[in-house]
Amino acid sequence: MSLFRSEGHLAAWLGSTKQKRGEVLSLTKVFELARAWYSDPRDPAWRPRTRDESQEVLDSVGLTGDFWELPS
Amino acid sequence: MYDKLLAGGRPPTIGEIAEHFAISPADSRRAIAELKIGKTILPDPNTGEIWMAGPFSAGPTAYRVIGRRAQWFANCAWDMLGIAVIADEEVRIEAQCTDCGAPMTIRANPWTPPIAEGVVHFLIPARRWYEDVGFT
Repeated sequence: MSLFRSEGHLAAWLGSTKQKRGEVLSLTKVFELARAWYSDPRDPAWRPRTRDESQEVLDSVGLTGDFWELPS
Repeated sequence: MYDKLLAGGRPPTIGEIAEHFAISPADSRRAIAELKIGKTILPDPNTGEIWMAGPFSAGPTAYRVIGRRAQWFANCAWDMLGIAVIADEEVRIEAQCTDCGAPMTIRANPWTPPIAEGVVHFLIPARRWYEDVGFT
């Protein structure tokens, strides 16, 4: 998940590297994702999520569709 | 492990874990390799040292996160904001544009979205995230 100054810089990078465009999120959306995804592992109640729980996190911030489908 | 990471910016080494638990370095290396906590902590495939402890990187990356207590390195642009969440404090992120290398400074905190220019590109679809976590 790579940071770019702008869509224009992303387009230039995709052109020079011949990489296929994936999904592009704003910093606001990535912040929402980070907040939903991460919690303090030092919390005694912390435990790894199941695949379905992780999918629910993606869904909860509106990241749905084929690109965001975790492996089963 | 996360106590040490948050306090000092890097995870404990095999030797430090061995000393802390009074075990041999071989047992320490094995314990890291056998951690059963999903994709959260990954050992370096060559050295066995802790390589990633989500969202932290053990070594320098393009995403430096500077907090009050320490500075940390994130594995990617998603994780740089994840560190602000776990550290639970305001941070300054010193990153670079992946295209041109221009420095990008982002002030972030665990409560509100950062106000900064920039977009994040997810190259790999979620179904392939765990095939090669380093590349992802």
